Amino acid sequence: MSTASSGFKLSEWIFTTDHKRIGILYLIGSIAAFAVAGIMALLIRIEQSAPGPTIVSDAFTGGDQYNVWLYFHGAAMILGFLIPGLTGFAANYLLPLMIGAKDVAFPRINALSVWLFWAGIVVALLTFIVPDKPDIMWTGYPPYSVNTAGNTALYVFTVHLMGFSSILAAVNFLVTIIYMRAPGMGWNQLNMFVWSCFTALIIQLIFVPVLASAVTLLLFDRYLGTHFFDPANGGDVLLYQNLFWFYSHPAVYVIFLPAMGIFYEIFATMAKNPIFNYKAAVYGGMCFIVLISGEVWVHHLYYSGMPDWLRIGQMVTTLMISVPVGLMTISLFGTLYKGAITFNIPMYYGTAALYLLLIGGLTGIPLAMTVMSVHLGETSFTHAHFHFIMGIFATFAVFAGVDFWFPKISGKMLNVSQGKLGFWFNFIGVNITFWPLFIIGVEGMPRRYWDYSQFPAHFAGYHKVATIGAFIVAIGMVLTISNWIISAIKGEKAPNNPWGSNSLEWTHTATPPGPGNFPKPVTVDADWTPYNYK
Amino acid sequence: MSNAASAHAHAHHWETSAAPMLIVGGVLFSVVFGFVSWFSYSNILWTQICAGIGVPLLLAGIAIWTAEALTQKPVMEGLTPIALPFFIVSEVFIFMGIFASYWTMRLSAGPNWPPAGTPTDMNLVLPIIMTIILVSSSATYHIAEEKIKHSDLGGFRLWLLISIVLGAIFLGCTIYEYQHLFHMNFKPSTNAYSTAFYSITGFHASHVVVGLGSFLTVLIAAMAGRTNKYLTFCVGLYWHFVDVVWFFVVSQVYYW
Amino acid sequence: MKRAVSAMVLTGLGLSATMAGAGEKVAMPDPAASWNTLWHHVLLDLFIIGIIFLAAGLYWVWKYRATRPNQIGEGPKLSKIAAISFAVVPSFLFMADDFFLAAKGWTVWNEYRNVPRNAMEVKVTGSMWSWNFEYENGVTTSFVVDSKEGEGLVVPLGKPVVLRMTSTDVVHSFFLPDYRVKEDLMPGRVTYLWFNPSKTGETLATCAEFCGNRHSFMWTKVKVVPQAEFDVWVAKQKQGAGA
Ligand code: HEA
Ligand code: HEA
Ligand code: CUA
Ligand SMILES: [Cu+2]
Repeated sequence: MSTASSGFKLSEWIFTTDHKRIGILYLIGSIAAFAVAGIMALLIRIEQSAPGPTIVSDAFTGGDQYNVWLYFHGAAMILGFLIPGLTGFAANYLLPLMIGAKDVAFPRINALSVWLFWAGIVVALLTFIVPDKPDIMWTGYPPYSVNTAGNTALYVFTVHLMGFSSILAAVNFLVTIIYMRAPGMGWNQLNMFVWSCFTALIIQLIFVPVLASAVTLLLFDRYLGTHFFDPANGGDVLLYQNLFWFYSHPAVYVIFLPAMGIFYEIFATMAKNPIFNYKAAVYGGMCFIVLISGEVWVHHLYYSGMPDWLRIGQMVTTLMISVPVGLMTISLFGTLYKGAITFNIPMYYGTAALYLLLIGGLTGIPLAMTVMSVHLGETSFTHAHFHFIMGIFATFAVFAGVDFWFPKISGKMLNVSQGKLGFWFNFIGVNITFWPLFIIGVEGMPRRYWDYSQFPAHFAGYHKVATIGAFIVAIGMVLTISNWIISAIKGEKAPNNPWGSNSLEWTHTATPPGPGNFPKPVTVDADWTPYNYK
Repeated sequence: MSNAASAHAHAHHWETSAAPMLIVGGVLFSVVFGFVSWFSYSNILWTQICAGIGVPLLLAGIAIWTAEALTQKPVMEGLTPIALPFFIVSEVFIFMGIFASYWTMRLSAGPNWPPAGTPTDMNLVLPIIMTIILVSSSATYHIAEEKIKHSDLGGFRLWLLISIVLGAIFLGCTIYEYQHLFHMNFKPSTNAYSTAFYSITGFHASHVVVGLGSFLTVLIAAMAGRTNKYLTFCVGLYWHFVDVVWFFVVSQVYYW
Repeated sequence: MKRAVSAMVLTGLGLSATMAGAGEKVAMPDPAASWNTLWHHVLLDLFIIGIIFLAAGLYWVWKYRATRPNQIGEGPKLSKIAAISFAVVPSFLFMADDFFLAAKGWTVWNEYRNVPRNAMEVKVTGSMWSWNFEYENGVTTSFVVDSKEGEGLVVPLGKPVVLRMTSTDVVHSFFLPDYRVKEDLMPGRVTYLWFNPSKTGETLATCAEFCGNRHSFMWTKVKVVPQAEFDVWVAKQKQGAGA
């Protein structure tokens, strides 16, 4: 097959409507967000390595600097890195290939999505240029976000641009998955990754608008003088928190589901096994998560003075999430059972994921219990929880995903020893960084503190260890990302199907795939599945 | 960019379109940077520059997009009418968010409603007139759709034009009402009711504007003799949706 | 520990929900102590779940390494019955554990929300950036964040204290790590929490909801003194206010 005109043409990239190239544009943007947000994390860690000012310039108003770093870190990691990295990059690159489609249903809308996302990144980065830097954290609670001198509008527009991008992408991909599967491909023959995106995108479609309305009202309150969140004039501060978490809890499953999807693909391929109990994981796991993800948001408001019956009711629903997640976990672990596992970089991450999923997920359980959360919530215990499940498990999913599909995307093989070295730095580093936070969290270290002199002196030791860990991670990340760049340029040429996978993107397309994806239209048989190795 | 290739099993070159990037650039400058210059920095010059860059980009983007949409074959026929309802689900949730906020304020106020500062003689006739106008515009658009089904292009243009005029009158009523209320010192910042009133009606009006915009693109294309049945259907569906939302606005905001 | 293990066993049998409320009533409720006990149970519970899964996962990863090139997995193809059982049985086990934890948590939560009748009430107001306390008898104290000056909250030993809290500006949160409790302060609402000062000496309350550039400094002393000393203190405060 004649892959498109050789050579690099800029206009073919920036004006592209091809889903694979759009996917790569997403990847570049989200890794850029990750790098900047990661550097902010290092600043945060250096500052916290000792009580009192370390690198902030003023012992008293140091918060002004620190809060901007933390705002950017949280907002960019979630909105700029993980959501676009998974439902932007991975979904874009892989979904059409996995279902045997030429492209997505609306390629131009797809291009609109990616540029809206990039516009969101630009607006987020303005944080570092404007004089009144936003300092409202990624949660943006009023009245602070309405009263502060910081520029709340930048936060709101970042959310709007990224949110609108997600909504359009969700519409686009849902239609693509429903209507553009290869002839013969039934719902039970879909890749787990396709299912995971399908369910994640339903969540996006329904909940992002609620966040959009919440921040719009914030914008009105701030700049038009309305009173939605102003109790003195009939408004309500809790209203925002409810709207925000009504979106932002489901958003964690927008991250979690595709992350699981990637690990399913890796496990099945590397163990050459079918997915263990596919239907239980899809219907009892993913679909069930969609159903209940909207009924648990109050677990972020256990200590916010919500009515007691709501706190109790949503404690039960939140705990119940362990049922669908548990089914998905069983299915993920079970896929290894009696497999024939080959170890390579993606599978290294996969093995680590077994552990990370458990640590991150199970530490959600005490937080989910109302009474435990009134002590543990808003402490660094919460930090450790969500860094394990999101900052590591889901982040590793992005890295493992890039490593796994790297031969497909670039046509080159990664440098294995550098990749593995990067893995070890990452894995050891995150453990050193985040375990200490569990411990001081239980002892009462609150979130969003740059100075903690009032607390027992031994906190400083734990913070120091965490800081060292963060720098180990940084080395690992540099090794990993530079490996992609170097290998894409001068790596060894990749065979067409290096992992011996049975999924369409490996078996039916060129490496890398050209315009239109498939040399000839794909149809699949009734007994075909992406995991049928026998 | 031509579509000869899609007749084959696959395209031989990378498809491109400049429209999406232009539109995003336009939105970024005119809406985002414009808003920030105006509201955060009260800098009129910057606002003008941003709008000056953004609006042409936006218009160019929309023009290119429309032209391409009317001439190029889609990846798969007939998906637009399916996609729009998905998008409308999303829109419904935006309105739900705003209405939920209004209900919270309304219910927690109890008997102290409407709060002090609300004119006692709110005009309750105008919303009825506006309802009639908006519903008739839905009806006239329906007639237009019938016309085009019977390949009556002239009739289609006429009834579409009537719908546009009705929509414009509706918007005019909103502007008139706002002016009137501002005159009576009823502004977004006046009290909880004004907060909800302007946010909800304003948000609805912005949807009317989008609806009218898409009517106009269809009309311009129809003047050039081009129509696309999926496009006409979608534009109509969106308009009916805006119409249905208005019932909620009227019943909740004016008469409750 | 023994109780926790037997509770775990019962959990497995699905009897948990009925059991959970059955602990003996202590004369003097002490939420912080109940919290600590529950925390250990929860940790044990999660530890067991985690170990089971992790052991299985890591063992399989190690055991089922491919031994020859192009080897193919022998993973079982589940029959319909097996597939359903592998969904339903674990679901019920997980749910049993969830309800067990929920019931346990609810019991302790009730302690947290049922303020003892003899509790001393203190009104707390948070602002950017100070804490203000107002006692039933009109005595007021404060703690100013910038100057670190003020008495803070002083309470008598062994007498439950209920705080009725509100804020004048943004959201703050009154977090008492040693008493395992926090609750937000918001403008326009009054929230409450109570604790049982069980040990004399000074402890810390600190703001746990982001409130701007002094958020890290927004703490206050909480001093627990014997009743007699407290009475003297109150008298002195009244005098000070009068003088
Ligand atoms: C990818 C992201 C992600 C995921 C998947 C999760 C998953 C979960 N989270 Fe987490 N969470 C966050 C990201 C995420 N979280 C973030 C970002 C925050 C902080 C936000 C902020 O304030 O800034 C947060 C905060 C947060 C809080 C609020 C804490 C606070 O206020 O400070 C709570 C409370 O309930 C919570 C609970 C849970 C629970 C119960 C799950 C469950 O879904 C976990 C389910 C998984 C398991 C349970 C493990 C596997 C299952 C089994 C092995 C089966 C058997 C198990 C049992 C029967 C228990 N999370
Ligand atoms: C995906 C989500 C994600 C990820 C991956 C991370 C990653 C990290 N996070 Fe973050 N974090 C959050 C999401 C995430 N975090 C959120 C949501 C919050 C809450 C914010 C809030 O409270 O509002 C938070 C808060 C938070 C805090 C709390 C601060 C406080 O409350 O006071 C801390 C403190 O230690 C921290 C640390 C770290 C560290 C050390 C990493 C490290 O793992 C980072 C490692 C990465 C790097 C060091 C970058 C390396 C890359 C380069 C250097 C570029 C190289 C480039 C080339 C070669 C081209 N994070
Ligand atoms: Cu007050 Cu943080
Ligand atoms: Cu949550």
